[in-house]
Amino acid sequence: MASSLLRKRTRRNNLWFLHPRTLTQHLLPSSPESQSQSQKFPLFQNPPNSIQNHDFSDSAFSKFLLKSSKHVASSTANVSGRRFDSQRRRFFGSQTAAEPSTSDGLTVERIVANGWTILDESENDWKSHAAAVAQSIHLIKKRMKWKKLLVLLDMLTMELNKPDLWNDPVHAGKVSREHGSLMGKMKGVNAFERELLEHIDMIKLAREENDAELESESLKALLQMRRISKEKELEAMLSGENDPCSCYIEVQAGAGGTESMDWASMVMEMYKLWGQHRHYKITVVDEMPGEIAGIKRATIKVDGEYAYGYAKAEVGVHRLVRISPFDSNKRRHTSFAAVAVIPILGEGYTHVQINESDLRIERFRSGGAGGQHANTTDSAVRIVHIPTGITATCQNERSQHQNKASAMAVLQSRLDQREMARQVQMNAQHTQSLTDITWGNQIRSYVLHPYRMVKDLRTNYEVSDTDSVLEGDLDGFIMSYLSASLDKDEDDR
Amino acid sequence: MKLSLTYAFGVSNFTVFVKPPLFRNLHHSVCLSLKPTPPPPAAAAPLKHRMPLFLRPPTYTAPMSELHKWHEWAKSLASSVGTTFEDLDNGPDSSLLCRELKWLVEDVVEDQTLPSLTQSEKCERNVGVRVSLEELYKLWKERIEDRRPFQYIVGCEHWRDLVLCVQDGVLIPRPETERIVDLVGDVVLDNEELREGLWVDLGTGSGAIAIGVGMMLKSWGRVIATDLSPLALSVAAFNVQRYDLQDVVELRQGSWFEPLKDLEGKVAGIISNPPYIPSENISGLQAEVRRHEPRIALDGGVHGMDDLLHLCKGAASVLKSGGFFAFETNGEKQCKHLVEYMETAAGDSFCNLNIVPDFAGIQRFVTGFRK
Ligand SMILES: C[S@@+](CC[C@H](N)C(=O)[O-])C[C@H]1O[C@@H](n2cnc3c(N)ncnc32)[C@H](O)[C@@H]1O
Repeated sequence: MASSLLRKRTRRNNLWFLHPRTLTQHLLPSSPESQSQSQKFPLFQNPPNSIQNHDFSDSAFSKFLLKSSKHVASSTANVSGRRFDSQRRRFFGSQTAAEPSTSDGLTVERIVANGWTILDESENDWKSHAAAVAQSIHLIKKRMKWKKLLVLLDMLTMELNKPDLWNDPVHAGKVSREHGSLMGKMKGVNAFERELLEHIDMIKLAREENDAELESESLKALLQMRRISKEKELEAMLSGENDPCSCYIEVQAGAGGTESMDWASMVMEMYKLWGQHRHYKITVVDEMPGEIAGIKRATIKVDGEYAYGYAKAEVGVHRLVRISPFDSNKRRHTSFAAVAVIPILGEGYTHVQINESDLRIERFRSGGAGGQHANTTDSAVRIVHIPTGITATCQNERSQHQNKASAMAVLQSRLDQREMARQVQMNAQHTQSLTDITWGNQIRSYVLHPYRMVKDLRTNYEVSDTDSVLEGDLDGFIMSYLSASLDKDEDDR
Repeated sequence: MKLSLTYAFGVSNFTVFVKPPLFRNLHHSVCLSLKPTPPPPAAAAPLKHRMPLFLRPPTYTAPMSELHKWHEWAKSLASSVGTTFEDLDNGPDSSLLCRELKWLVEDVVEDQTLPSLTQSEKCERNVGVRVSLEELYKLWKERIEDRRPFQYIVGCEHWRDLVLCVQDGVLIPRPETERIVDLVGDVVLDNEELREGLWVDLGTGSGAIAIGVGMMLKSWGRVIATDLSPLALSVAAFNVQRYDLQDVVELRQGSWFEPLKDLEGKVAGIISNPPYIPSENISGLQAEVRRHEPRIALDGGVHGMDDLLHLCKGAASVLKSGGFFAFETNGEKQCKHLVEYMETAAGDSFCNLNIVPDFAGIQRFVTGFRK
């Protein structure tokens, strides 16, 4: 469906490009309230050839065109220049800033304010569909922090227009990249918004013209939009700057010996499986096993789009209550595992500069004379960043060189994260590293005894099928947390 | 003197014919040591080359459940080792062996996106594998029972960002040695003459250092790699070809400086990881090394310094003025000895002598420049 919408839009734009004036006329606002089409365009009688030459038969839009072209006799129709200009702006002008509206002045905000009843999808009611889509757009904008984005866009545009911008090419490149990506993000939403309003226009037109076919096609299109908008709502939850990044997930066992180390490895396993469900590539970077079972701590790399955006919802302490298999007296134990998530900033982000001389690189777990004496497949490396004391270890690559490179990458991300936290001093707890996370910061509890329940302490979202959660079915928790944290403050739009 | 090799790719065995130049007796002429003379290399005999597992076509299939069974067996075998080998001779413990097992699976199973073997007990789906199940049992048994090095089992060693083919009879490159390439990288960085010069890797083995340096100098310099062992050279040739460095790395056979007589005073850099283990220590080495790796690649004579000292002497005449060298050693004692030797006995030929530690903190390399 997305692609067919796209096709439709492309065609429309193409057409407009080929016959600018003609199309502009067709798209002119249908008369508000009482005025009828024929009154407005009394001269139009024959369809212009140029339009007939194109095959639009399968799109609602072409119907609309052919339909209205009954009235459009000549491409030299006398249209008021002011109107033409306003249409022009709708296509070419600052699409992000101007609020799009239907021919009779209906905007997304007004639709939302109208409070039209939203019925079930199966009820074929255009107002209901339109209201649902409008509400999604409203939510999407809120999640994207639309007002802030508008301000940011203005600032970037001003920056871009400075004549001396390119004196500093690095800065200029950054500004223009940011501007481009912001425009891209906002345009997508605006296009979706316009699409909604155009369909509404068409439905109104179809009703005036008594064209049942056009009406049902437009209705279908609205329904499709309604479905797509649900996906878009989800996507909009991940509009943070670093959300698209891959990430590292780190798990550390709390106090409590083997039982809590076992819990830490269960948590890690849960994330590995979650990553697999999401088709991310999972690599174990570093793992410190417990003496008897489980892990003391471990780091995995989660490669794929939006890995960080989702995983950041997991930062904090996870609590387990169960009868410990390691307790011969079969008593109930409570144990904790801390989870940290570090974004891996790709190219185009600013990284902390690391001086080679600030590093100490050590072979991990070495012993004996080494060199020709030893044949080992173990070439684990630890890198210490001396000024900050931050370390990174990797042991799962097959060569020392690669272990070193992986550990360097972890170190870079740790230092980047530290810098981010320092700069932005965000309330955001998900910039916390493992050492920052206090054991009091519990986010979720997993109770396996005496009843079974996983409950998020932040959102109260809960699931009684504990096995499915431990097998990585975490999306419910993640989504409810992300939406709760994004949708709470009203005026943050 | 250039070695000419013929081989075919894409088959699991290929043959290398070495047209022997003048290496007969050469070893004796240069070895001043009391160390046992290695068996004379089988000159013109065709050398059997084993194709590493990961390069073999997946011509076998096995049901997941059978692979699972093998995997469980292999795991329990690995677990049964505990720390026995470690306590015995600093060999691998169970956790290391389990990781090797994981890598073996990586090299052998065609489709890496499969659900993990540990969870496929009842899965009857067939998967493509590069060796038969029978062979898999045999290989893992060799790993545990014979202590055959993992790298010989899979036929390759991951070294720096390279995957080098290795086989019995050729030393498995060590992680420490990766550093030599970095040392070269450091000196060529701001020295055009070195960067564009001729480099020599003496005793190249699998070709590791030569290829590492060759990849780095590709567009500027050239590398000549030598070894006494025809088998090592045939493996090195295979690796050079795999990294498409035939125009950068030239292979020559012979003992140390013998094949370089045409290059006196012309060489920009010498790098070498010669045998440096004192003869008496050989019998106490870790089983993987002692039983399986070639003695000719390890035994450095009574103090382990025979070849290193020989290299120092030769370096003075082969290197051009301003030329660089880096040698790997057995540790602090050898490093110090070597530096002392170069400062005194080797005349006044070298400057900026330096000892560089490896990542375990052991003083491992001696570097310096020809005056
Ligand atoms: C310790 S291994 C190093 C191999 C390789 N450079 C590496 O680092 O993996 C020493 C190498 O020197 C070679 N070698 C031993 N005696 C030699 C000699 N007299 N002349 C040339 N090469 C020799 C051995 O065959 C072996 O390949």
